[in-house]
Amino acid sequence: MAEPQRSTPSFLTVFIVVGIALYALFRVREALTPFILAAAFAYVVNPAIVYFEAKGLKRLHLILIGYLTSLLIGCGAYAGLKTIIIDESERLSANAPVYLAQIQKFVLVQQAQLTRKLPLPPKVAGHALDSVVGAGLERLQSVPSEILGLLPLLAHGLLVPFIGFFFLLDGPDGFDSLIQAMPSRYVEQAIHLMGEIDTALGNYLRGILIVATAIGVASFLGLLALGVDNAFMIAVLSGVSSFVPYLGVVLGIVVGGGMAWYQFGTISAFFKVCLLFFGIRLADEILLQPIIARHSVHLHPMVFLLALILGAEMFGFLGLVFAIPAACILKALVQVGWSWYESESGLENFAPGGESAPYT
Amino acid sequence: MISLKSLKRWFWDPQFARKKQFLRSLEIFQDLNNGELGRMVQVLHARTYRPGEVIFVEGDIGRALFILESGKVELTRRASSGETRTLYTVKPGEWFGEMALLESLPRSATATATETSRLHLLYRTKLEALLQSEPRIGVTIMGHLARLLSTRLRRATDELAVSAAHG
Repeated sequence: MAEPQRSTPSFLTVFIVVGIALYALFRVREALTPFILAAAFAYVVNPAIVYFEAKGLKRLHLILIGYLTSLLIGCGAYAGLKTIIIDESERLSANAPVYLAQIQKFVLVQQAQLTRKLPLPPKVAGHALDSVVGAGLERLQSVPSEILGLLPLLAHGLLVPFIGFFFLLDGPDGFDSLIQAMPSRYVEQAIHLMGEIDTALGNYLRGILIVATAIGVASFLGLLALGVDNAFMIAVLSGVSSFVPYLGVVLGIVVGGGMAWYQFGTISAFFKVCLLFFGIRLADEILLQPIIARHSVHLHPMVFLLALILGAEMFGFLGLVFAIPAACILKALVQVGWSWYESESGLENFAPGGESAPYT
Repeated sequence: MISLKSLKRWFWDPQFARKKQFLRSLEIFQDLNNGELGRMVQVLHARTYRPGEVIFVEGDIGRALFILESGKVELTRRASSGETRTLYTVKPGEWFGEMALLESLPRSATATATETSRLHLLYRTKLEALLQSEPRIGVTIMGHLARLLSTRLRRATDELAVSAAHG
């Protein structure tokens, strides 16, 4: 019995339809932000649900228990850290103009020294440095407003778990429906593709979350031990920015080190913070990366950089966070596409090799 | 007063338990414990095929093993004369396409659902991932496959020997 004949859309039609859909999604990206964040949240949390679901427990109940437990832990953590958070926020908002003024003063002193040392006529050197430093200081003054610009993301704080709840609840059924709707002959390929994307993306996202948490906690404890002011805020900044590879440690050194230098007035305080963050980076490299990177997709550093730049250019901070996962999906698509092409076009050699002794 | 039984019913997923029960009845998963069967339920993908729907075509690259839960599936092969010959009719509880778990080779037959059939797919890369993460499950399945292949090879060798003896 033959399957009922269906007209197959041409490659060009599929390409055009996918292109239009992607462009439409790009145009409404602002509205999609909480959904993308919720999908990522559900994807990261799902393995914990799956682990207990394998014991035969109902998914809905597991999700509810998970949400309740997280809420309790969150409330407990807030109660424990409330004093520190309020203290640091007040101190930071009061001191922010002082910090900015100090940074400006420091930069201007360094600029004056550098102008004298440069082997150029003082006017030319001064002009050149003015344009560079001026642009830098202008950028620095816009930092607080840029940080405030990220606040709308926090507004998704409630929306993301809410949408994530439905993603978590319907996730496996959604995948099964997709498989059911697919033409039967392409089911194997579809599962192949999903499996490859899951392997690449899952390991990367879970890995980066572990790294961000570890860097945040380690830097908080380290800065607290060194007696640096605003340890919690710097640790949060370092942890959150770790979603962008390497940025967490760099920001930790710049902000934490600068804060220590200003607070204690000695360069050795800055170097102590540097040592702390180098230690964290080293521990991450030795302890976490071997576990995290074992199954994740390895991207060429150039692709890595290009993805980050394109992501930031197109979607801002969120683009930076999701640039590498998107590159992982793209790589998985290319790999699966090439593997299909190889097998379907006969490029791959299927002849069983090494047959010598007869079966005994 | 809430009884332990009603509490268990509230927490336990009956559909999941039914799927696990089905897997337990299959020879390939018989040596797995309760938790491992639970993992298998999550690893397998289920799909319902309509009567006449082609599951895979002879010559397609195989990537999954199919387990038939209900319905009927016919395995056919096209002879060089162009005539289609039925090789076997798969019944509920049986599986087919197992060679795909070992090698990405072209399918040696076409599989078609002859009535509404519920099938579970075990994808090759999923089995490979299981071999890494939960070796006991992977090794149990591989052990069954090895025994199955050994039996088939022995039978083929015997048949070859008999046909050679008869000239």
